[in-house]
Amino acid sequence: MCPSLTPQRRAIPTRSFFAGLGIAAASIVFLTMPYEVAGQSSGTTLARTSDGHPDLTGIWQAVNSAAWDLEPHVAQPDMPAGIGAIDGDQIPYTAAALAKKKENYKNRAALDPDGKCFLPGVPRVMYMPFPFQIVQTPTQLTMLFEYVHTVRNIFMNTPHPRGPIEWWMGDSRGRWEGDTLVVDVVHFNADTWLDKAGNFHTEEMHLVERFTPNGPDHIDYEVTIEDPKVFTRPWKISMILYRHKEKNLRLLEYECYSFEGAEIYKPIHTP
Amino acid sequence: MTARHSVAISAALMAVLLSAPNIAGQENRPSNGASAKAGYLQPRTPDGQPDIRGFWHIVPFGTYSLQDMSLQGLGAGDFSTKLPGGSRIVDPPDGKIPYQPWAAAKAKDINDHHMDPKPYQLDPQARCWLQGVPRGTLQSESHVVQTPGQIVILHDYSHSYRVIPLDNRPKLPEHMKLFMGESRGRWEGNTLVIDTTNLNDIPWFDIVGSFHSDAIRVAERLTRIDDETLEYLATVEDTKMYTRPWTMRFTMKRNTEPGYEQWEHACYEGERSLHRLLARPDSGR
Repeated sequence: MCPSLTPQRRAIPTRSFFAGLGIAAASIVFLTMPYEVAGQSSGTTLARTSDGHPDLTGIWQAVNSAAWDLEPHVAQPDMPAGIGAIDGDQIPYTAAALAKKKENYKNRAALDPDGKCFLPGVPRVMYMPFPFQIVQTPTQLTMLFEYVHTVRNIFMNTPHPRGPIEWWMGDSRGRWEGDTLVVDVVHFNADTWLDKAGNFHTEEMHLVERFTPNGPDHIDYEVTIEDPKVFTRPWKISMILYRHKEKNLRLLEYECYSFEGAEIYKPIHTP
Repeated sequence: MTARHSVAISAALMAVLLSAPNIAGQENRPSNGASAKAGYLQPRTPDGQPDIRGFWHIVPFGTYSLQDMSLQGLGAGDFSTKLPGGSRIVDPPDGKIPYQPWAAAKAKDINDHHMDPKPYQLDPQARCWLQGVPRGTLQSESHVVQTPGQIVILHDYSHSYRVIPLDNRPKLPEHMKLFMGESRGRWEGNTLVIDTTNLNDIPWFDIVGSFHSDAIRVAERLTRIDDETLEYLATVEDTKMYTRPWTMRFTMKRNTEPGYEQWEHACYEGERSLHRLLARPDSGR
């Protein structure tokens, strides 16, 4: 099945329906708003920054099994089941890349870079089972992640630096298209995976992410992934990011590679 | 600064770079706080906070030893370079951390062996672990972001960060200890006061083993005294480790390079030196 049918898309026929009735444009806006709001988890209006863009400030998290496997899959002992987060049933690998993916899957316990606690790359960090916080200014939108204190700085309305550059988290450049934050990401290394199932990419990966608020507490998150070295065509991921609303919530720390610290340094803390 | 091409630089090399004696001279001034230079009109953010946004780095740069600035040359791998001596510690007046006797013995042990360490004598920073407070500020340039109700500090080194709410929301339970702690900020006039608790006992203040317990509390005071300068004070309390609170003070300068951006500093991912740093035959690691 296709799991990418987002609430945003469902809202479109509503607009078309009223437009078909020939109602004046002003009335369409007035009449469709309650329908769009009804599809959201909260009846309040979208918060906006002083420069008029949607205010994405807050703590967010994806709630799905994409971190384990982006493709539709049944459960395994190390993996919760999921309907998938891609358009279609399979990622369009070239034949050689598909063979590599299958090897990755078979040996995932040993090969997954996540096991080394390295920076997880994009888009994987966006749907790992940890919260992240958005800090928004007109010139820079920063995403702070609980997982190994990963940071994404999304620089607004500026060009990518000239490559070749290979960064774990790539280079992110954002712009607003209406109420959608569009982020172009390049300059990756080939050392991160897309999930725990061995789905992978190379340093040629190019992402276009689209963050569209769907009410105050949801973001429709869509990513177009291109990488001519391993995929036969661009393909898409889509999912919903949910706002955390727990009182006094803050990001904590998942310092994956320093859990043994208390033991190593015990001698200096013991009188 | 150091962010530009630091894709896979080892921890040891970074320690060298960050300890470079790029600015000569340090002023030891009284610890009675800082105020803006006469006639300086503090700018404001759109939501009315005193404006300390931007990229700031301490002068002189370096984190080799809080108590003996002349060692910065060692950090740069240049044994002939001697910076003016002195301590970043302005209280007590002797510039020394007022350890309890047992802790002073531990600190001496680390100091004596930091060039040839056993695992517990190696600066945790060399492992690319989070730096704690205020080591993050000492270690590298910091990008201060102010949005309504909060200050966010993005440290260049190892992309560590602090989110500091400007209110008195309830704190974490005391037993929850974090590398970067739990901070609350408030403005006292033009001075940002940050109180930090819930810190774990792992990070050190420098390479030579100035350390603390998980009872540490840090009170930082940041005052912008002119367009390019922040005065920074941090008072450290730790009843398990010290005989009295002590205070470090330093000056931070603003990076004015147009269009400057903080780029990825993948410290742990590029770490290649730990095995050499711990090459001592009996290091056990």
